[in-house]
Amino acid sequence: MSTETTTTSTEISAPSRFLNEITATSVIVKLYSGEEYHGILESIDGYMNVTMEDTKEYVHGKLIKTYNDVFIRGNNVLYISNV
Amino acid sequence: MSDSKSEPLDLFKVLLDEKVHVKLRGAREITGRLHAYDSHCNIVLSDAVETIYDTDANDQLISTQKKSEVIFVRGDSVILVSSPNDV
Repeated sequence: MSTETTTTSTEISAPSRFLNEITATSVIVKLYSGEEYHGILESIDGYMNVTMEDTKEYVHGKLIKTYNDVFIRGNNVLYISNV
Repeated sequence: MSDSKSEPLDLFKVLLDEKVHVKLRGAREITGRLHAYDSHCNIVLSDAVETIYDTDANDQLISTQKKSEVIFVRGDSVILVSSPNDV
C-alpha cells in the first residue's frame, strides 16, 4: 500500500484509511456467501483478513452462532460497514 | 501502518496448540488442534473431525463426520477460524 497522502482535501482519502479508523468499533462484515458477522473489529490487514470480538453470525437475518474471537479470511469479504 | 497494531493473523499465534474450529467452503467444518499455519491460512490440524453438511431428498439437513489424525487444509478454502471456547 502506498504511503503517499496526495489528499489536501479532507473529503477524499484512501479506503484503507476508513478501515483503520473503524478498528475497535462495532462493524458488520458481510461475506459473498451471504453470512453477516456483527461484532467489534479487532484488526484488519491489506487482504481484508479481519479478526473480530463478541461476534454474532447471521444468515438471512437469523442469528446462527456467537463467537468470542474469530478470524475471517479476506477473500470471502464482500463489505465491511460500521454500525 | 502496522506499527503497534496487531494483525489478524496474530490470532493464529494465540491459537497454536489449542482446539480450533475452522469453517470451510462447501459447507464443511473442521475442529482440531492447531499445529501450524502460514500467511495463506494453510493449516495443519491434529485429532481433526470434519463435518460435512448436506441436504437429503426431503431437504432435511444431514451431516456426516470424518476423523483424521492429522490433516492439512489448503488456505484458499478457509472462510473462518475461531477460538476453542466458542465451539
